[in-house]
Amino acid sequence: MRYSCGLFIVRRCNDFIMDNKKRKISIIVFAVLALAMLVGTIIVKSPGHHGSISVLMRDAVLHEVNKISLFGLIDVNPGLIAAFSVTGIFLVFALIVRIFVIPRFTIVPGKFQIVLETLVGYFDNLAKTNSPHRNKFLGAYVFTAGCYIAVSTLFELFGFQAITTHGESISLPAPLADINAAIMMGCLSYLVIMSGGFAENGFKGILKTLKDFSLPISMSFRIFGALLSGALVTELVYHYMALSYGLPVIVGVLFTLLHALIQAYVLTMLTSMFYGEVSEPAHEHE
Amino acid sequence: MPLNINFQQIFLHLFNFVLLFAILYFLLYNPVKQFMSKREEYFKNLDDQAKEKLSDAEKVKAEYDSRLKAVETEINDERAKAHKELDNSLAIRKQQAEDEASKIISDAKATARREKEKMMKEAQGEIADMVATAAEKIISAGNTSDAFDQFLAAAQRGDNNE
Repeated sequence: MRYSCGLFIVRRCNDFIMDNKKRKISIIVFAVLALAMLVGTIIVKSPGHHGSISVLMRDAVLHEVNKISLFGLIDVNPGLIAAFSVTGIFLVFALIVRIFVIPRFTIVPGKFQIVLETLVGYFDNLAKTNSPHRNKFLGAYVFTAGCYIAVSTLFELFGFQAITTHGESISLPAPLADINAAIMMGCLSYLVIMSGGFAENGFKGILKTLKDFSLPISMSFRIFGALLSGALVTELVYHYMALSYGLPVIVGVLFTLLHALIQAYVLTMLTSMFYGEVSEPAHEHE
Repeated sequence: MPLNINFQQIFLHLFNFVLLFAILYFLLYNPVKQFMSKREEYFKNLDDQAKEKLSDAEKVKAEYDSRLKAVETEINDERAKAHKELDNSLAIRKQQAEDEASKIISDAKATARREKEKMMKEAQGEIADMVATAAEKIISAGNTSDAFDQFLAAAQRGDNNE
């Protein structure tokens, strides 16, 4: 008994010493890496910003300066390239999932299957609860819109580079920070709502949708404003090197994550609610 | 245009989104939803089967209960019948015993009567012999009138004894 107690204490001491050693090594590695990065930022010269912060911000809003050539056909905003890139990523991801994952789905789901089913189930349920009469197309639409908004907002975190028509390298922004993408999203959602009303109630449904004529504008500019403000704040933080340590973790990553989820939720929820309202059968409403 | 809104780019964004919709719908949303529907159907079938089996079991149980009740009723009927039969049998046996007893008694009475008659006959024979013997003795003694009186007295006694 005494022997086993002694052995237990020795083992615990050894574990503690080993843990302490590992902790010390981790701290040293972390400190060395942080120092290396700091030295790197000082040694490597910044490419420098052309113009003042106000010019950069103006360009982030209006996209007057930085344009990217689309296959040499037309010059477009970086947001459009980002949008095509997001679609490309989705295409690859969806193909891989369709070919390798979905055929191996099991009755008792694995972790990844749970994630996919939860995602699809969430948007399907959102459509069913908000529009109980007509929801098949709505479910697919809010699923696409939700995934697009969330992933395209997170897309800016990766900082994929593109070359502008001036030959400068820029980081691709979130597609919806481009006013054109935001208008497309808002107006398309409005058209989807209108189509639901028309399919269920004919012209009466269209009139019901036209009653909320401010909806496309509010939805478009809500998304644009939210994502643009995030982009501007991040731009502002990264513009000054003194603010570039630690702060981007909160401003850049957490805010972007929140933006992605909140905006995806808001747009899909609003679309589902209005769709459900206008697609409600007239006789039932009476 | 204010804010540099460009309709060409809006349509390009729209084209991109429609493309994305088609990709996600056909490659991700629809197959996953179909699988979920299939699984839902599978579990619904299981549930239906379980309910069906449960209802079958309840039916069987009800059937067995009714059978048990029928058997119990039958047992009670049989028991009542057996009791009745037993009562009948007892009554018959009692009747038979009574009949037998009365027969025995009547036989005994008949036997006793026969015995008595037989004994009487024997007694009468003995008496006649005794009378004859006595008459002979009296005659032989020469006292005929006395003997005749004695004979009458003896004959009278014999009648009284009967």
